[in-house]
Amino acid sequence: MKIKSSKTTALLFILIISLLSACGSNSSADNTGNNYPEKDIDGIIMWGEGGATDIIGRTLAPIVEKEIGSSLVMQNRAGAAGAIATQYVYDQAADGYTLLFGAENPNLYQVLDISERSYQEDFVPVSVIANSFAGIIVKEDSPYQTLEDLVNHAAENPNDLIFGTTGEGGLPNVVLAMLHNEFGTEFRTVPYDGEGPVTTALLGGEIDATTVTISAAQDYVESGDFRMLAVINDEEIEALPDVPAITDIYPEIDKYLPWGPFQAVFAHKDTPEDVLAKLTESFEVAIDTSDFRTTLENLGMEYLNISGQEAIDYIEQNRSTSAWMLYEAGETDISPEEFGIPQPE
Amino acid sequence: MEAIQQFLIPFLDLNLLFLVAAGTFGGIILGAIPGLSVTLCIALILSLTYSWELLDALALMLGVYFGGVFGGSRASILINMPGGPSNVATSFDGYPLAQKGEARMALTLSTIYSFVGGIIGVIVLATLAPLVASVAINFGQRDYLLLALLGLLLVGSLSKGATAKGIFAAGAGILVGLVGMDTIGGGARFTFGSLELMSGVNFIVALLGLFGMSEILFQLRTLNQKGVASFLKKTVFPPLRFILKFLPISLRVSIIGVFVGALPGAGGEIAALLGYDHAKQTVKKPNRKFGEGAYEGVIAPEAANSAAIGGALIPLLTLGIPGDAVTAIFIGALFIHGLQPGPLLMEQSGDLFWVMVGSSVLANVFLLIFGLLVVSIFIKIVTVPKQVLLPIIAVITVIGSYSINNSITDVYWMLGFGIIGFIMKINKFPVAPLVLGIILGPLIDTSFRRAYMGSDGFGDFLFGFVNTPITLILTIVFIFTMLGQTNIFTTIKGKLKKG
Repeated sequence: MKIKSSKTTALLFILIISLLSACGSNSSADNTGNNYPEKDIDGIIMWGEGGATDIIGRTLAPIVEKEIGSSLVMQNRAGAAGAIATQYVYDQAADGYTLLFGAENPNLYQVLDISERSYQEDFVPVSVIANSFAGIIVKEDSPYQTLEDLVNHAAENPNDLIFGTTGEGGLPNVVLAMLHNEFGTEFRTVPYDGEGPVTTALLGGEIDATTVTISAAQDYVESGDFRMLAVINDEEIEALPDVPAITDIYPEIDKYLPWGPFQAVFAHKDTPEDVLAKLTESFEVAIDTSDFRTTLENLGMEYLNISGQEAIDYIEQNRSTSAWMLYEAGETDISPEEFGIPQPE
Repeated sequence: MEAIQQFLIPFLDLNLLFLVAAGTFGGIILGAIPGLSVTLCIALILSLTYSWELLDALALMLGVYFGGVFGGSRASILINMPGGPSNVATSFDGYPLAQKGEARMALTLSTIYSFVGGIIGVIVLATLAPLVASVAINFGQRDYLLLALLGLLLVGSLSKGATAKGIFAAGAGILVGLVGMDTIGGGARFTFGSLELMSGVNFIVALLGLFGMSEILFQLRTLNQKGVASFLKKTVFPPLRFILKFLPISLRVSIIGVFVGALPGAGGEIAALLGYDHAKQTVKKPNRKFGEGAYEGVIAPEAANSAAIGGALIPLLTLGIPGDAVTAIFIGALFIHGLQPGPLLMEQSGDLFWVMVGSSVLANVFLLIFGLLVVSIFIKIVTVPKQVLLPIIAVITVIGSYSINNSITDVYWMLGFGIIGFIMKINKFPVAPLVLGIILGPLIDTSFRRAYMGSDGFGDFLFGFVNTPITLILTIVFIFTMLGQTNIFTTIKGKLKKG
């Protein structure tokens, strides 16, 4: 019996040792010269297979490969609202061989105490590929015909209506904070695992209203299952011309805009400038191809394709609105000021 | 007429025919490798087929889907390591059968009834899709809670006599399932400040460790030249009358499977568990006790998880809502090829529906053919000497756990679970309840809390359990199932029979 159990222990040790040696030998950071790229580039996707970030990354990759002349190997590292992928890319060498494909979520990691990483301090945008808009939706048989109906009811009858959310820092969470701060609305909130489940919950009548990306709701609005009360933007959008912009109803919201979900690709903050320039250039050309623009259209996203300071400002505006909204609505105890996040003007 | 024509497209188009066949065959082989999940295979195919025609891509994906879910049962039966989460329940009776030399019978029966379940799933998809979808969409949080609790009652039968140990293991499983970022409150649970723990414990990793690695360690104690089974019963192909005997039970669990598969919040793994439970409750005279090699114990979960595929396609095609992780990738595929998966999909591209139904039928036919043909190849695994087989499986478990999220942490988790499972096995703790807890714990947690948050106080919360027809039925089923296992109920029943 004793001999047998020592065999077991021996096997375990061999296993563990071989694993450790396997993970010790990666990431030998060579200094990259002008010959970038000399090897495959890793693209890390912060969300799982089949989501918007995944689809955008994987359709963009083959086009970028042609431009940059090297393979772009895409991997999903989902988990903790993207914080796992963000940390992973941060831990790799700053040589431009590991890119982060991500959405807006890391903008709230600090105030929500999810992770220390942030786009502003730890990364540099290669490109903000595209953006989208959020819309407030109710079911077609809902008694609320306009946003005013909904807002007035929720302000006069606190906690009477149920608003579906996608967890802390998700789109509905920020929109609720916006409505609460401006008009004193009070909703009961029930969090779901993402846009799919929250849409399902609205279809099944489990919740009274919610906020999703317009692409996720568009089809249901056309089929007559949902009614979209407003789109969070300062003008109507092409895809849904009948839906009023929120600023048409409440002009005071204007100061928070532009705000909405976006998709972007990032490199480590300390990436050499010539490498970053090469990346930015390749992505810019690739995003502009008609094939890729069609993909964006199918996903209901707006072509953006901005880089450099413009991209940095865009991301900062998003962070500033979201972070301050949540703080003022009492959703988070950590003040955005602690991280030097400027208040939206 | 048009529908029939579209339905026949995959049968007449040689290209599609070949892709479905290739997908099914590949799916069976890949699905049989523990850790290479169907989800992962289909995601890989998606990225390979970006530039293909939509129907070609879907034909291949459907083949892999049916083949992969089925293929997982091979590993459950032959080496006690479920090929995927849907095949956990298959190992409860499948492996005992293999140990008793009846691997061939187990493989054959499960192939035939995977086919039966798969076909029933497709028939429901083709005929009742809008109806099932409208019921599934109205399935509320309380209903998920009751369903998960029903699944949890299986702990009693999985404990094999050691009920206290079983409950302890299930409780530990629930705790493990709760590790990570709380999707409702947003807080971190049991993460000790570690970012890697924030994403929680992937239950496939737990599966690989508790069933795979721990089994390897356990078998090392009795390392000898022999394989899993010392002999193989010389079974000829079972006579038709014997096969048809299981048709009624397979029909019942297939219906359960279709419906659970159609639910947006539950998939094949829960369908298989509930199917197994149903068989255990209703089959009065199994050939052996459940858990010791009952044929029904292999048939029920396999019919249910195959039927669940047809079910999962229902909300996808009628509402654009994924029924499980795999159909979520199908949605991605439709998007990429320029379609809008949503309530208008049937209207705008109705041909797609019937071509998918046709491909699914075809995939099941190939599944039956290939499944029966490769039995003789798979069967050899049980006679491979352990010193050859075990190292290979060890490597596969490591690769499998790494590949889920490209994370080395998952490999450590897998090894940890392997050691825990090993310790549990030598101390006669059943490991299946632990897995059950990991799978069902998060579902119980979130559905309970959402139901409570959505109701106006405690009274309203309780009232919700008798408020709607679906919930009322599930509440009654749950109460009777629970009371049915107590002594009081048995006494009353006995008295009633006498009186």
